[in-house]
Amino acid sequence: MDVFGSFALLLAFLCAGYAFVGGIAAIRTRHPLLIKSARQAGIATCGLIFLATASLVYLFFSDSYWVSYVVAHSNRDLSTFYKIAALWSGQEGSLLFWSFLLAIYVFSVLLVYRNKNGELMPYVGVVLAGVQIFFLTLNNFVASPFKVLASMGANGALGVFTRADGNGLNPLLQYPEMVIHPPNLYSGYTGFTIPFAFALGALLARYPGEKWIHLTRKWTMIAWCFQTMGILLGAHWAYAVLGWGGYWGWDPVENASLLPWLTGTAFLHSVMMQEKRGMMKVWNVWLVFSTFMLCILGTLLTRSGVVSSVHAFAQSSIGNYFVGFLLLVFAVCLVAYVKNRDYLKSENQLDSMVSRESSFLFNNLILLVSCIAVLSGTLFPVFSEWFSGSRISVGAPFFNKVNIPIGLLLLFLTGVGPLLAWRKTSTDSLKRNFGWPLIAGLLAGAAVFALGVREFFSLVCLMLCVFVTTTIGMEFFRGARVIRSRSGASLLASAVDLTMRNTRRYGGYIVHMGMVLIFVGLAGAAFNRDAQKDMQPGSTLEIGSYKLLLQGFDSKPEKNYTSERMIVEVWRDNKPLMMLYPERRFFQTNEQSGTMVAIYSTLREDLYVVYAGQNPETQAPVIHAFLNPLVKWIWLGGLVVVLGTLVTLLPNRRAVLVLAGAPERAAAQQPQALAPSVALREGHD
Amino acid sequence: MTKRRLAAFSLVIALSIFSGALLSSRAQAQQTDRAKQIGGKFMCMCSCNQVLTQCNHVGCTVSASMLKELDAWVARGDSETAVTSAFVQEFGTKVYAEPPKSGLSLVAWSLPSIYLLLGTLLVIVVIWRWRSRPMPPEAVGGAPGISPQDLERARRRVAQETED
Repeated sequence: MDVFGSFALLLAFLCAGYAFVGGIAAIRTRHPLLIKSARQAGIATCGLIFLATASLVYLFFSDSYWVSYVVAHSNRDLSTFYKIAALWSGQEGSLLFWSFLLAIYVFSVLLVYRNKNGELMPYVGVVLAGVQIFFLTLNNFVASPFKVLASMGANGALGVFTRADGNGLNPLLQYPEMVIHPPNLYSGYTGFTIPFAFALGALLARYPGEKWIHLTRKWTMIAWCFQTMGILLGAHWAYAVLGWGGYWGWDPVENASLLPWLTGTAFLHSVMMQEKRGMMKVWNVWLVFSTFMLCILGTLLTRSGVVSSVHAFAQSSIGNYFVGFLLLVFAVCLVAYVKNRDYLKSENQLDSMVSRESSFLFNNLILLVSCIAVLSGTLFPVFSEWFSGSRISVGAPFFNKVNIPIGLLLLFLTGVGPLLAWRKTSTDSLKRNFGWPLIAGLLAGAAVFALGVREFFSLVCLMLCVFVTTTIGMEFFRGARVIRSRSGASLLASAVDLTMRNTRRYGGYIVHMGMVLIFVGLAGAAFNRDAQKDMQPGSTLEIGSYKLLLQGFDSKPEKNYTSERMIVEVWRDNKPLMMLYPERRFFQTNEQSGTMVAIYSTLREDLYVVYAGQNPETQAPVIHAFLNPLVKWIWLGGLVVVLGTLVTLLPNRRAVLVLAGAPERAAAQQPQALAPSVALREGHD
Repeated sequence: MTKRRLAAFSLVIALSIFSGALLSSRAQAQQTDRAKQIGGKFMCMCSCNQVLTQCNHVGCTVSASMLKELDAWVARGDSETAVTSAFVQEFGTKVYAEPPKSGLSLVAWSLPSIYLLLGTLLVIVVIWRWRSRPMPPEAVGGAPGISPQDLERARRRVAQETED
């Protein structure tokens, strides 16, 4: 099966090469058969990558311990569930997995648009094939996952050597979320290739209008949704497994995943400017280019060892290939832009500073500043070493100080932006839309202050959360009230109806609401508390209103590890509440150990208990307990963000009605019609 | 010594012991808080890339010994500057959790503000340039006798430009 996999990968490389060269020839000659054959070569590339990936999965399931990658990342006792995760746990397999996910996207695009957008698709196909060639080069010639173990026989001949068992999977990865988190994150990274291919293709083809934007919006939303889920699942994994009491440590690899998310978010907002007003075309094209390049940069950071991180793959020379690819992509984008920049001229002008357009510009500014600040902070240790010879670390305190004010500005704009009208917002509209939210925000601030919260940023954050929630609530209420007055349905049913009539707008509000919930959770971090104590059975540890009573220990051999648990009885307000079992696991195969945190989670706070090993001096078991307020809101917010994104992807019910009924209605209403300029100026539904 | 004097003397002794214990536990708590606050400004050197006081790797001997050193220095009453220079001398500048606000590190601190300032200026220039562009012909004044076709086109545009 390893030979089959290698062969499939090699064939995929050749097919991608044909799709690329044949695609360029097709663009030049416009020969229909050549266009078709290039597209089919692209589809065949994807099919062959699927086969190669299936081969590697089979090698894991069949315990093929003559394949080097399988030996390094699996063992016989590893459960089937984690044998799937072993696929992406190392450099070679994760690169194949990258190609696999990219192939799913490419396959879908080539199939969905096989009979559509004939002028644009050959260009898109060439760009996609180009990206696939790069990854297939790595899969075939730099980091092949199908290398076999070889040993010299007695006669001096080289033969395949089979090990009795593998080294096992990294304990940190033996956690259910590790089976979900990387596929999500990688789906985000690879998904941004599609808008990149459409943007570059449209620029090269000088494809008329904003159609490429319409075509790619859903693909961008899908990639963004995966990236969001990937980031949040990664944060939850760090929280539940690493045992340091936090979920985001501004590690370079975490930062690498955040960078394309920030530019992708900026693009999803500014794209509306191009769709609605034909503006910001240059900006949008470069945002898409940057998002893709940041995905590649993130991969470079994770895999090259340029920056130190616990999450990074082993240091290797593979980074050089990514640097080369990154430079090539940048050069191609720059040349394409310089040669076709007249195609990107904006059509419209801006009427007022107080308008939706301005808010989008500021939203993009804030997101971009945050992105560049995170990037420069992440790379500063490298630069400081170049310039001064000594590496200066940049850790979480720096990123928190820089990004908390930026995040709050963004939260403010989340509330303000959607309520501003396109083109121009009148003073009356400002009063109408912002009066109540402002009052609600200020009242909330006063209430939180009265409750004893003195932490400035948390106070402001909670005020803004209430402000934004009120603006969103009012938007739903106003729309739903109108529908209710016409249909007689309940307010909730009317709100659902309203959402389905304009899924993009109201789905967007749901996403914003999810972000508000995440910010509520983040605000709680200022009030985290922790306590650590050497414990013996019968001893207690108090933290907040909780009392932890250590009842004892137990030890249980599992298939792949031995578990040692603390049995902790939790009391609150002098009443027994529940049992918690913080755990340490010892993996015999690779002689490593890991923690499993026990968490009692409520909307108010998380009681987070870690079995932190033995005190090196007293050899007494140590319990480390944290009281982390509002953390659950972050995960709930993540769910709401995903729900909102799914809503935005649904077809718009109203669009059909408008198109069907518009001409008749327009003719019927002609006598009382407003002058278009007036309607446009106040236009905001 | 009368019974009353003995009782008063005992009370004074008891109060002294109690207040001494109270002060000592408060001092210890303050010392722990100070160690925690200072420890939050350094990285753990076990290459976990976490802040010293947050490193919780199972069996991390590096953070344990660093924290022990820190506790000793804080108990001795060393200033934050002295603790910082001791750690920098031992581990180099990579021990900082955040760059110091001096020398080359000032660049790291000032860059975000510079980005924000330049970006804001850029946005203002862009808005100013967009505002100074001539209005598109169809938007300059609505004719009183507007045709149904024009009206429909305008309606479609309104819908397109305002639906999100």
